[in-house]
Amino acid sequence: MLTTMSKEITEKRIQTEKPFVVYKKVSKSFGDLKVLREIDFSVYPGEKVAIIGPSGSGKTTLIRLLMTLEEPTSGVIEIDGVPLWHKEVKGKLIKADEKHLHKMRGQIGMVFQQFNLFPHMTVLRNCTEAQVKVLGVNRKDAEDRAKEMLEKVGLGTKLDNYPSQLSGGQQQRVAIARALVMRPKVMLFDEPTSALDPELVGEVLDVIREIAAEGDMAMILVTHEMEFAKDVADRIVFTDGGKIIEEGSPKEVFENPKSERLQSFLRRMRK
Amino acid sequence: MISINTYLELIPSLLDGAKVTIQVLLWSLIFTFIIAFIAGLGKLSKWMVIRGISTVYIEIFRGTSLLVQLFWIYFVLPLFGMELSAMTAGVIAMSLCYGAYASEIVRGAILSIPKGQYEAAIALNMTPFQRMKNIILPQAFKIMLPGFGNISIELIKGTALVSLITLSDLTYQALTLRNTHVGLTTEIFLSLLILYFFIALPLILFVRWMERRVQVGRA
Ligand SMILES: Nc1ncnc2c1ncn2[C@@H]1O[C@H](COP(=O)(O)OP(=O)(O)OP(=O)(O)O)[C@@H](O)[C@H]1O
Ligand SMILES: [Mg+2]
Repeated sequence: MLTTMSKEITEKRIQTEKPFVVYKKVSKSFGDLKVLREIDFSVYPGEKVAIIGPSGSGKTTLIRLLMTLEEPTSGVIEIDGVPLWHKEVKGKLIKADEKHLHKMRGQIGMVFQQFNLFPHMTVLRNCTEAQVKVLGVNRKDAEDRAKEMLEKVGLGTKLDNYPSQLSGGQQQRVAIARALVMRPKVMLFDEPTSALDPELVGEVLDVIREIAAEGDMAMILVTHEMEFAKDVADRIVFTDGGKIIEEGSPKEVFENPKSERLQSFLRRMRK
Repeated sequence: MISINTYLELIPSLLDGAKVTIQVLLWSLIFTFIIAFIAGLGKLSKWMVIRGISTVYIEIFRGTSLLVQLFWIYFVLPLFGMELSAMTAGVIAMSLCYGAYASEIVRGAILSIPKGQYEAAIALNMTPFQRMKNIILPQAFKIMLPGFGNISIELIKGTALVSLITLSDLTYQALTLRNTHVGLTTEIFLSLLILYFFIALPLILFVRWMERRVQVGRA
């Protein structure tokens, strides 16, 4: 129910507001391998976008560019109208320095396939370190915020545990809390459940559903969980061969796929 | 009876030598690890010049022997107007030599930290300095400890060479005493062995203790 309501709110925003993230003809190559080919893609404030597509189609790369983990080969990505990887000097776009990236990155958060928690820190410390060091929040407030988010992901009792003492599903939920405490405007999820044992997938998806239902934060979710994508996303984007082949509402994409490639992809996923 | 009394008279000189050895050792330890971090991080720098300088330093000091380095710093540098005391020269040579080895331990440990740790730190918008200081080094440090332990023990052995640039360290004292008391050779060398062992012991225990401490909380 909540999801439906938040979807309506997002719907309104898409009609009235400017997109928050815009990819303009973005390409990425690794050596000779063209991974993304002139991608045009936008995300609106609060919008939930699921990216689906076959392995190697460039889904991960697409969101790693936004997290500044990979640099685009060509094209421009804008966040709230400001180029991410470039700086404007005398009307020309030049490559941005670390200082500019630092300023921009604060708006983006990411949850990784392999969790990437800091093994030498407790759960609580994982969720306070960046608040204190990056945002300059005092430790007490940072801990309060961290506890609130850890409570939300159902780990309020594991504050003093180390990551190695938690199950994969618990670790991924800590990773979600760790990203949430930073209050990003857009949160990226790269197949957040594909490293998990099947019985632990549900608990992580439930947490993400709940966060999505709260509305405000835009989300880009790379996922192989089609049911989940259908539930959570306002829009589904299908990539193949480094291009966006088709996009639309979950209904359009899943019930009435137009391209042959999407049709065959969905047939394979249903098996 | 006579021999035991004579032997006891030798002990103060040996202890004086031990004092010098410990002094050289402690200073060298401190500078070795400072240099190790500077050169180890330098070799990983994104700036080519810094990488180049670090590489040249490391290869020169790993590729030549400590003895040659000691001679250069103590006997050759003065010819170019750089006069150093034997103690200073000894500490500098030891630190540069072992620092070059230890820098490879620092570098290797840092490289062994998974890429995902850097990426998570970037995703939390930490600066390059914060990533290194708060995320990478604390994890890498644990991996460095056994190597650092070994280097420390090597350093103790290395200190014996400073006798060759006129420092009256433990080895120097023992060799001198043996010249004057040939009949006590066994006793003198046995004392030498024991004294070196007791100098090494606290270091060995310290490294053990550190290793146990950083294990806490990690599987
Ligand atoms: N750092 C890299 N260096 C070289 N090639 C890379 C690199 N990262 C990704 N690739 C290649 O780029 C292509 C797209 O990779 P990407 O990880 O974006 O695909 P994906 O859609 O996320 O696939 P999957 O579903 O398997 O996660 C793949 O062929 C991959 O091997
Ligand atoms: Mg991927």
